[in-house]
Amino acid sequence: MPSLIRTLRSVRRVGLREWWRQMQYIGDAKSGTFVGKDQFGNRYFENVNQYEEVPGRHRWVDYAQHNYNATQVPAEWHSWIQHIRKEPPTEDAIMKSSSPPWQAPWVENLTGTRGAYKPYNTVAPKINAWEPKITPRS
Amino acid sequence: MSFARPRIIMGLQPRLLVTPRAVSLHSAMLARRLLSTSTCSHAQHSQNSNGQDGPSSGMAARTRHTDPAAPRYDAHGNELNPYAGGQSAIDKAVHLFFFTEIIRGMWIVLENFFRPPYTIMYPFEKGPLSPRFRGEHALRRYPSGEERCIACKLCEAICPAQAITIESEARLDGSRKTTKYDIDMTKCIYCGFCAEACPVDAIVETQNQEFSTETREELLYNKEKLLANGDRAEAEIAANLRADHLYR
Repeated sequence: MPSLIRTLRSVRRVGLREWWRQMQYIGDAKSGTFVGKDQFGNRYFENVNQYEEVPGRHRWVDYAQHNYNATQVPAEWHSWIQHIRKEPPTEDAIMKSSSPPWQAPWVENLTGTRGAYKPYNTVAPKINAWEPKITPRS
Repeated sequence: MSFARPRIIMGLQPRLLVTPRAVSLHSAMLARRLLSTSTCSHAQHSQNSNGQDGPSSGMAARTRHTDPAAPRYDAHGNELNPYAGGQSAIDKAVHLFFFTEIIRGMWIVLENFFRPPYTIMYPFEKGPLSPRFRGEHALRRYPSGEERCIACKLCEAICPAQAITIESEARLDGSRKTTKYDIDMTKCIYCGFCAEACPVDAIVETQNQEFSTETREELLYNKEKLLANGDRAEAEIAANLRADHLYR
């Protein structure tokens, strides 16, 4: 039973406390190398050993918040965890060099909250109500 | 009588030679070849088509169970046994009464029961994505911070869903910039033509696919929202465009 052996191996590696946290969130005991941590505290792991992790499940994120959400991963790490970039953004030279100084901080998808985007018009209205101008009587 | 007997013997001879009983029973008991893993031996070009009658699906030859091109009579005029090379009735009965196919199917289930699952636990693990993936739109800026869009309205013209609305005016320094750049994301079909039409790489489709909203009005993006998308994900967009620039 490889999955039982894998579970026991992961528990032995990560410890009981981390295993309990994984069972609460990921629902699976996983062990691998720590790759990095983003500005929100999400931790990213990788295990490229194909006998320990099924290929395709070899990169994962441990969210910092309890109410986790896929959009809490910032864009740089998003391209790593979706296998778009090979190296994590802490080591990716192209990703580092293409980060401009005016880059805005990442915000998660705020739909359903008060911070949700509401569309508005960005131009002045072209049709205005008639405002009568009255010449004052002398 | 004396004339017919040698013909009967000759007619029976190939049958006796072709069907060795012991080998076929042996192969029936040990057959582990699966339908899903075996190659399709019927996939071949049809002989009678010489490029004139066009491509055919070959369904007619498969629904008709006897091969029409197979010889039915041997050189002496005897009728050949069309089942000579196939399974015998005893083989079929063995498969039927010993449930070999059902047991083979259950064995596959048992094998996969003890294999690690392939399920990707979604918000923690994600499947691979292409740098050409077409997700949420974004308006980009130059490295200096100047917005790229020059209001040429090529994206508006090419948009098949007519989801883009642009209004422009000249700024004080004489450059033409958009005052309104609206994309109705409920209309958008994510074809990527806007990003292909753009001469300055201003409008792009980012790799973000998690922009679902609770209300429809949140999907009516205006220029500020699109620029904010680009400002947040500029590093990822630039890295993806760089990864793909040789093929564009």
